[in-house]
Amino acid sequence: MADEPLIRAQRIAAGKGAASVFEALSFDIAPGSFTALVGPNGAGKTSLFETLLGLVPLRAGKLTVMGGRPRRARRYVAYVPQASKLLNDNALIGREFVSAAYHAHRWGMPLPFGLRHQTQAVDEALETVEARDLARRRLSTLSGGQRQRLLIAQALVSDPSLILFDEPLSQLDPAARDRVVSVADVLTRRGIAVIFSTHDVNPVLRVCDQVLYLAGGRGRAGRVDEIICDRTLSELYGTPMRVISEEGRRFVFEGSQRRLQAVGQ
Amino acid sequence: MTVPEFLRYDFMQNAFLATTIIAVMGSLVGYFVVLRRQAFGSHALSNIGFAGAAGASLIGAEPMVGLLVFVLGAALLMAWSGRNVGERDVSVGMILMFSLGLGALFINLYSANANAAIGILFGSVFGIDASQIRWITITSLVVLAGLVAIFRPLRFASLNPDAARARGIPVSLIDTLFLLLLGAASAIAVPVIGALLSFAIFIGPASAAQAWSGRIGVGLALTVLLSLVESLGGLIISYYANLPASSCIAALSFGLYALSRMTRYASPGFFLPRLRG
Repeated sequence: MADEPLIRAQRIAAGKGAASVFEALSFDIAPGSFTALVGPNGAGKTSLFETLLGLVPLRAGKLTVMGGRPRRARRYVAYVPQASKLLNDNALIGREFVSAAYHAHRWGMPLPFGLRHQTQAVDEALETVEARDLARRRLSTLSGGQRQRLLIAQALVSDPSLILFDEPLSQLDPAARDRVVSVADVLTRRGIAVIFSTHDVNPVLRVCDQVLYLAGGRGRAGRVDEIICDRTLSELYGTPMRVISEEGRRFVFEGSQRRLQAVGQ
Repeated sequence: MTVPEFLRYDFMQNAFLATTIIAVMGSLVGYFVVLRRQAFGSHALSNIGFAGAAGASLIGAEPMVGLLVFVLGAALLMAWSGRNVGERDVSVGMILMFSLGLGALFINLYSANANAAIGILFGSVFGIDASQIRWITITSLVVLAGLVAIFRPLRFASLNPDAARARGIPVSLIDTLFLLLLGAASAIAVPVIGALLSFAIFIGPASAAQAWSGRIGVGLALTVLLSLVESLGGLIISYYANLPASSCIAALSFGLYALSRMTRYASPGFFLPRLRG
């Protein structure tokens, strides 16, 4: 691992309203690492992303992204929204959709004879997410998982060092989930750091290097067995929690052994 | 070279020139309107022009100036008044309603010529004069230059606004600039096609082109081609059949749109005769 982390957060607090969504949150993101950002709905996963992008100001603590202030690093960070948030009657083909991110921060218009580099970058991105077959298909005819892979390809076209995935697995069937997770895993092997938000840690257990768990306005980062365990989760939620491991999967329950209630499934 | 009969008159030459410019510029802006699902905003901006033109006539000012001032002001209000589309639909409708009320008032006060209202609402392309041609040309060049200038960020922000914002692209600024370009385009299109019929140039060709091509470059070229066929074809039909020009353009625009819905997603080969058995 490199000495210099891509992101260093030291006791940060952030939020849009009167109260902070999370406080005293500390973690490091190493280059090329896979971080699962886990927590129930409303725990502040999206707020954390907005903070990392410099869209929401810090309330406390110190945060550096690529050695500087978050806003200055935005060109090296890509954000992948949920596929379901996009217009589903978009008539464009996959290749056009992916191309849209190429040099998007520049003004002006690409000229038809200068498109070689763009075509090459888009081809590579489509290849990486195993979506060459989607290049000529209309977005409106694609499934959620196929659109999610095109969104990842679009993020890759801007050549980022870090990609933030916002709940990419929601509304996908298990096969499509596995495919999105393995694509994200491939990216880390190319040196791109991934922060992958999900309310269920199980689909990413086999690929993640660390877990960043947000709950009850607090958060903890560490290895899977340090975080998804009775003691840490009970501290975070502020109430007794139980973790049951079964066939390599982890299930989080609220309460004592007698009355268990599933959380975040 | 022989000049066709319909081009021998000055008013017809002006009509052709104005229609050609509006057809090219309006349909290119319209391509992004369709891509961004802002058809209602586009319709509203043209109709808001009604109040501007009527107000300018009332105080004896150049109608083009009234149109531009009113429509650009409304575009700014729209950009201001809400980010998400659902929220925007209501505020756009309210701005439209208020300005139509103002327009009705201006027409009522300017009782000298009630026909003025018909001209604004349904267009009066055969009444375009040289001064209007100048306004149309200059404004169109500005709008096209603006569209070229914001093309890359506009494309990304239209297709994936959340990712664009994360990348540091000023999405709200791009939204506002685009609405201003659309406003200027709508304002100068009003005398040609009419406030009520602007869909014929802004929405019809672009949505047909998007049904037939999923590529932006091809789509833009096809949009311009369809728009020219519809509007110049409409003018010629109107001359020979002695029908209102706007009605002919609207009918052609609707016809091509309907055809595009029926043959949507067909490959280009669909339209070609089969050469091999």
